[in-house]
Amino acid sequence: LVTVDATRRRAIGQILLLAAGFLVLVAISASSVVLVTQSRKDNGRVVHSVEVENQINALMLQIRRAESASRGYLLTSEPRFLAEYETASATILPAVDRLATLTRDDPVQIENSKRLRAPVQWRLEGLAKIIDFVKRNDIAGGVAMLREAGTTDTIQRINDITGAMRAEEDRLFALRTKTADRTQQLASIVTVAGSGLVVALAGISIFLVRRSARARDDAEAQLRDNNSNLETMVDERTSDLREANNEIQRFAYIVSHDLRSPLVNIMGFTSELEELRGDIFRRIAALSRAADPVPAAPMVDGDIEPGLEREDKQLSQDFAEALGFIKSSIAKMDRLITAILNLTREGRREFVPVRIDTRELIEGIVATVAHQASEANAQIRIEPLPDIVSDRLALEQIFSNLIDNALKYLRPGVPGDVAVRGRTKLGFAIFEITDNGRGIDPKDHQRIFDLFRRAGPQDKPGQGIGLAHVRALVRRLGGTMSVTSELHHGSTFTITLPIAWTASNRNRDT
Amino acid sequence: MSKAVTIIMIEDDEGHARLIERNIRRSGVNNEILPFTNGTAALNYLFGSDGTGKDHQGHALLILLDLNLPDMTGIDILRRVKENNYLKCAPVVVLTTTDDSQEIKRCYELGCNVYITKPVNYESFANAIRQLGLFFSVIQVPQAAT
Repeated sequence: LVTVDATRRRAIGQILLLAAGFLVLVAISASSVVLVTQSRKDNGRVVHSVEVENQINALMLQIRRAESASRGYLLTSEPRFLAEYETASATILPAVDRLATLTRDDPVQIENSKRLRAPVQWRLEGLAKIIDFVKRNDIAGGVAMLREAGTTDTIQRINDITGAMRAEEDRLFALRTKTADRTQQLASIVTVAGSGLVVALAGISIFLVRRSARARDDAEAQLRDNNSNLETMVDERTSDLREANNEIQRFAYIVSHDLRSPLVNIMGFTSELEELRGDIFRRIAALSRAADPVPAAPMVDGDIEPGLEREDKQLSQDFAEALGFIKSSIAKMDRLITAILNLTREGRREFVPVRIDTRELIEGIVATVAHQASEANAQIRIEPLPDIVSDRLALEQIFSNLIDNALKYLRPGVPGDVAVRGRTKLGFAIFEITDNGRGIDPKDHQRIFDLFRRAGPQDKPGQGIGLAHVRALVRRLGGTMSVTSELHHGSTFTITLPIAWTASNRNRDT
Repeated sequence: MSKAVTIIMIEDDEGHARLIERNIRRSGVNNEILPFTNGTAALNYLFGSDGTGKDHQGHALLILLDLNLPDMTGIDILRRVKENNYLKCAPVVVLTTTDDSQEIKRCYELGCNVYITKPVNYESFANAIRQLGLFFSVIQVPQAAT
């Protein structure tokens, strides 16, 4: 459960990481677009400043051209200069207009370009006058006009204004260049930082992925190991269990065997005591007869020690009773120990699987209990039975115990009816021994399979061994057994045995 | 059985020993009975101080042997007795509680002469010992090899 939680946390962490990386990428892209646009705009402004300066230069050039053409015309009166003058002067005013248009973005420049217009016009008018003098062949008037123009400050004003405009534009240029640089710097910082962040996130992602991959590889290796170990573990456990089972068998054998030895003593000396008792009471009788020649007590029928007085007779009887209880208890204990010994010996016997004609086997058992059956006024029906491969002796013991029980616990006064049925299912043979006897209380269904435990009225001889023994045998033969029964309505014992039992695993080393 | 035969009884349970002795006596056997309650003491006596068994040269012995002894199994004693030149012709009667067929077979293979399982039922036990006593009274026991 802990590892599942950790895995889920790790997965969520990875998703969050990827999402963060994606967001960073989006942010970088967006800010890059914004910054690039900004940068283009800034660059446009820089270019604009250059254009303005160009325009100022172009204007000045045209003015100078018009001036020099007008002077040339004044000197030579050649129409070539006139034409030159006319082309140049025609472009001057539009150039001023153009400059005004270009410098509309800056209030200082707007003012400057407004101020520029008037001196330029005056200058043009001055030049036009000179040209007029030349056209009227008044060269002297033209020269005077030129001189006069030279003294006026029109040219100076034009130069001042354009100088101011240049200065202003230079200032703007510097400013704009700086802004553009800053924007570009910002863009590169954002790109570098974002890239760094993405690389860092990618690094963390790779680290996490590799870590989880390593964890998965470890888990897979562990799983492979476990799988290969499982077989060995099962084998180990099985052999442990087998060893434990053998140990129990040996233990039971030794215990029951060693218990017999003191029992021989108890029984032996009890018998000796019994002999002594006879001797003692005979002596008492003889002594009392000698002391009192008159017969004290009348002869009682079947008295062992004749001539005993009443109190002595009572003593003798108590003695005999005590010894009787001791002897019967010892006899019972001996039977129990013998039963355990036989059971353990049975557990140590090697089973040999052979093909068994089940019907013939059961018929043999029925023949041996025929006398018992006729005494109980019972019939035994054998229905068709499947043949199986199993241990013959074990199977004989199983069926004879169950048939014997069926005959033993019939209802008095009711003719007995015992049926042996068989069928097969999925590689197992299922045998049922059904009787119409006294039945077993459901609360005793488990108990009857326990060693030395019996159920119902204890009116038949028995040690409570048969069913325990049968179940142990069935288990060793790789089968199971169960009982269905109801008081006064008979019982059915069901035995499931493998059809083809091989003396493998269970029997190998017992 | 001639008067000279000594019965060596190796039996760790003194109660059993007493019961056996009584019942043998009841069948009219009056030979000397030497009881031992453990294997070591019995072996010391049988093989003597020099460990060869030469001490018993010229004596007739009959050994009553229990298999479950505190310090060794009766089978060890049986094997050593039957391997010894002086003792090997002494009859050995194994008298024990074990009725395991493997054990019985093994004892006869090692040269035991009689194997008797002690019955728990005292009547049978007493009866068996008395019959053994009767058997003792008729069998011939050779002297240890000279």
